[in-house]
Amino acid sequence: MGVPAFFRWLSRKYPSIVVHCLEEKGKECNGVRVPVDTTKPNPNEVEFDNLYLDMNGIIHPCTHPEDKPAPKNEDEMMVAIFEYIDRLFNIVRPRKVLYMAIDGVAPRAKMNQQRSRRFRASKEGVELVEEKHRIREEIIQRGGYLPPEEIKERFDSNCITPGTEFMDNLAHCLRYYVADRLSNDPGWKNIVVFLSDASVPGEGEHKIMDFIRRQRAQPNHDPNTHHCLCGADADLIMLGLATHEPNFTIIREEFKPNKPRPCALCGQMGHEIKDCQGASRVKQGQHDEFADTGPAAEQEFIFIRLCVLREYLARELTMASLPFPFDFERSIDDWVFMCFFVGNDFLPHLPSLEIREGAIDRLVGIYKDVVHRTGGYLTENGFVNLERVELIMQAVGVAEDNIFRKRKEDDENFKRRMKEKRKRMKAEQQGPAYLTTGQFAPQALGRRDRPEPVQNARHQAYDMRMQSREQHNKDAAQSLKALMRNGGNSSAGPSDIAESRGLKRKAEDSDSEPEPEDNVRLWEEGWKQRYYKTKFDVDVSDEDFRQKVVQSYVEGLCWVLRYYYQGCASWKWYFPFHYAPFASDFTNIKGMFTEFEKGTKPFKPLEQLMGVFPAASGNFLPSSWRNLMTSEDSSIIDFYPDDFAIDLNGKKYAWQGVALLPFVDERRLRAALADVYPDLTPDEVKRNSLGSDLLCLGKSHPLLDFIQELYRTESQEATEIPAELCHGIQGTLNLDDDPILPDKTVKSPIPQLRDISQNSAIGIKFKDPAYADGFVFKAVLLPGAKIPNKVLKPDNWVKGSQEPWRPQLGFNPNRQQAHLDQSGFRILQCHFFSSYSHSLNRNQQGGQYSNAPPPSSYQPGNYHRPRGSSHQSFQRKKRIHNLRSVG
Amino acid sequence: MSAVDVEDFIQQNRAVADQVETFRGYWESDKHWQARKEFILRNISEYDNQQLDQLLSLSMVWANNVFLGCRYSTELLAKVTEMAEGIVVEDAPVFKTRDEIVKKQQGR
Repeated sequence: MGVPAFFRWLSRKYPSIVVHCLEEKGKECNGVRVPVDTTKPNPNEVEFDNLYLDMNGIIHPCTHPEDKPAPKNEDEMMVAIFEYIDRLFNIVRPRKVLYMAIDGVAPRAKMNQQRSRRFRASKEGVELVEEKHRIREEIIQRGGYLPPEEIKERFDSNCITPGTEFMDNLAHCLRYYVADRLSNDPGWKNIVVFLSDASVPGEGEHKIMDFIRRQRAQPNHDPNTHHCLCGADADLIMLGLATHEPNFTIIREEFKPNKPRPCALCGQMGHEIKDCQGASRVKQGQHDEFADTGPAAEQEFIFIRLCVLREYLARELTMASLPFPFDFERSIDDWVFMCFFVGNDFLPHLPSLEIREGAIDRLVGIYKDVVHRTGGYLTENGFVNLERVELIMQAVGVAEDNIFRKRKEDDENFKRRMKEKRKRMKAEQQGPAYLTTGQFAPQALGRRDRPEPVQNARHQAYDMRMQSREQHNKDAAQSLKALMRNGGNSSAGPSDIAESRGLKRKAEDSDSEPEPEDNVRLWEEGWKQRYYKTKFDVDVSDEDFRQKVVQSYVEGLCWVLRYYYQGCASWKWYFPFHYAPFASDFTNIKGMFTEFEKGTKPFKPLEQLMGVFPAASGNFLPSSWRNLMTSEDSSIIDFYPDDFAIDLNGKKYAWQGVALLPFVDERRLRAALADVYPDLTPDEVKRNSLGSDLLCLGKSHPLLDFIQELYRTESQEATEIPAELCHGIQGTLNLDDDPILPDKTVKSPIPQLRDISQNSAIGIKFKDPAYADGFVFKAVLLPGAKIPNKVLKPDNWVKGSQEPWRPQLGFNPNRQQAHLDQSGFRILQCHFFSSYSHSLNRNQQGGQYSNAPPPSSYQPGNYHRPRGSSHQSFQRKKRIHNLRSVG
Repeated sequence: MSAVDVEDFIQQNRAVADQVETFRGYWESDKHWQARKEFILRNISEYDNQQLDQLLSLSMVWANNVFLGCRYSTELLAKVTEMAEGIVVEDAPVFKTRDEIVKKQQGR
């Protein structure tokens, strides 16, 4: 689902889930930056235990930022990433765990979306380079100034994929970073750091979920752990709810729509590349130090409190008189499931369900209605009850017709309003249709000379009439001449003017963009037929085919829910169509799905690269592998089209449409690679292997001695973490091949940063606790879990009733209110009453408030409204008394 | 091979025909599969068992071009068009590729 769309809907409907982050900034003293002491209590008045970072949400903005110029080289990118993590650490201040998860090889189900993104990104990159080149030439020819092209090679963001050299370098840099902070930053003293880099398969957010899920299921887990997950994806919210941990918060950047972007060519703000005039030659700042910085505000963060979202959902989903016992946790799971229908990364969403149209509200309404008939919840621990889901789908299906029609209506209304607005704007610019002339001409007011009285008004009016008549005569003469020139081919005079007027009108209309084509027209009769014909090239009567699509979709729903609650059920499964079926097609779905194929394994990193990269990004692969993407004799050449169709689906821009890329045939891919596997260099073999999570800690951590002992005895077997040494976290440890060890220098992979000669951190391989095959992770509140205090106003609360209630801004319900200190009031008194104390008579000249002292009943920190709010009620006698004491 | 020859071929080589059936993609509708099957059968005599994947790849190049709107290099497309000579596809879908859409928008 589009991140802004879902989150925008959610934060508007449930506004109290958002809390702004307070970020303590470092001070500067004599030009030296003093870092923030993160051992101090968190200024947000909350203490977090665990911080989880979905690293790809950090890597992308640090390597190719949208709101500032790009970093010049890879080293700068790494430093930017370190600084970003430092910022997050400062805001959140985790006390137990820091978990950094980088995307590894994703399940096949995700690969189609990844493929689509990379194919598009590759083309967009090429187009940008061409445009830059073209405009650069133009500007230089015109004599403008542009800084020399510093970035030799365009940064191909496609390198942010597991298996590339870049991701390998990133892993090294992060190890260095962790070792450095653990050794030197007091805020990191007691925490354990987990690093799951791109060599460990699984998407970042799901590796985090796996960790949490597996810790939850073991008996030493603290059920009141306060988790904080960093990431911008909307489905993190769903994932957080799915854990059923009572203290779960998400931190993300505040999304500010329509932020200005710097021009890609000259780096300045305020214009786009096509309007670029070149950079200014003037130095900005005394030594040009401001040249690189813009006046942009720094990105702010927000917290999303899932416990408050749970409160909201409790109100929304509570149902009375059910034929089965009501269990709120189960209804949360059903809500999460229904959110998948409006969009997720693995399935195209159903055409009739759009967030903007209130699809989730519609589904919840249907759900509450239908659940009395279904006899139970839709899901259990991530397993779907298809019979009950069918009832929901049928209810949506019935409404589909109306939904499409209303969508069209709303669309038309919107377009009409935009058009009228544009007309109004234009009219305002053009000015009035008729302006008086001569002495009656409008004169601007407020100037020094006042307009003269009109002389001889009648004469003036006569002149004005004659003038306009002359103008009409001139116009008529001209059109007559034009008519005679055309030899009478055009129609009579007046309509000629009308024609020219008509032409002008057409020109106006062409300012509005042309209607995007829509071959399906869902709002007209026969939409189902047109949809299947245009999208699938299949006749609507082909029931078998439609059932195939529905079956795959049903499998998909089961797969996605299982992915969120239990983990990846199948690394091979994917949805093999580009479009979804209609809700009304979901009939007899009960028997459509039983179980996924067992024992599936993820692709290896380089194999996965072959599956998601276009030929243009082939430079990230070994040359004999790259050859398979371009050679006519390659047995997989069909996977790499040069250009592909985009189905705009009624939208305007290419990036909004559906990319019709062919699906990768796994068998053929593996067969083709078998021939070129021997060509891999040892380094490439290493990059292609599946790696392991890393656990690191510093010298004050209780687990350090245990780990050191493991290394000393060179123990080759996997060892369980003793529960009492690590906040109840469990898992197995294995020696790392080239470990981070205390007193062993950690070399810096970045030229501008020093080696760590006094390293005191230790690193070891870590694996999540293992469970039996077929183990089901329960989606329940754990025993001992305490639900946090309620934040929302109780439904039945009336002002003045027994319980006092105040809105809560932030994590602390007893937050200190801002107030003026005594010194503040002394300043006010001096300022307002200095004239009063010198002369009793001059008080009339003072300002409006000079007779308004603070209420005598005022106590700082405990403000009550004065009973009579008029100023005069205060006695002057008292005032003189106070002033004398101040002097 | 002409259409008649293909029919004969299928009848005489049941085993081959069965093998070819296994190459059908899950997402391929009857119409798409019939066309691609013909492509494979017409050319299968030129490829031995080791090289079958190449034939399959070329059949997908052709099918992706006709039914999905993909473009490949001119040489490749020429090759598969030649291999597909004689195959009739009725009512082929029409597509706009990404390059076309972007050029059109820039031109405005």
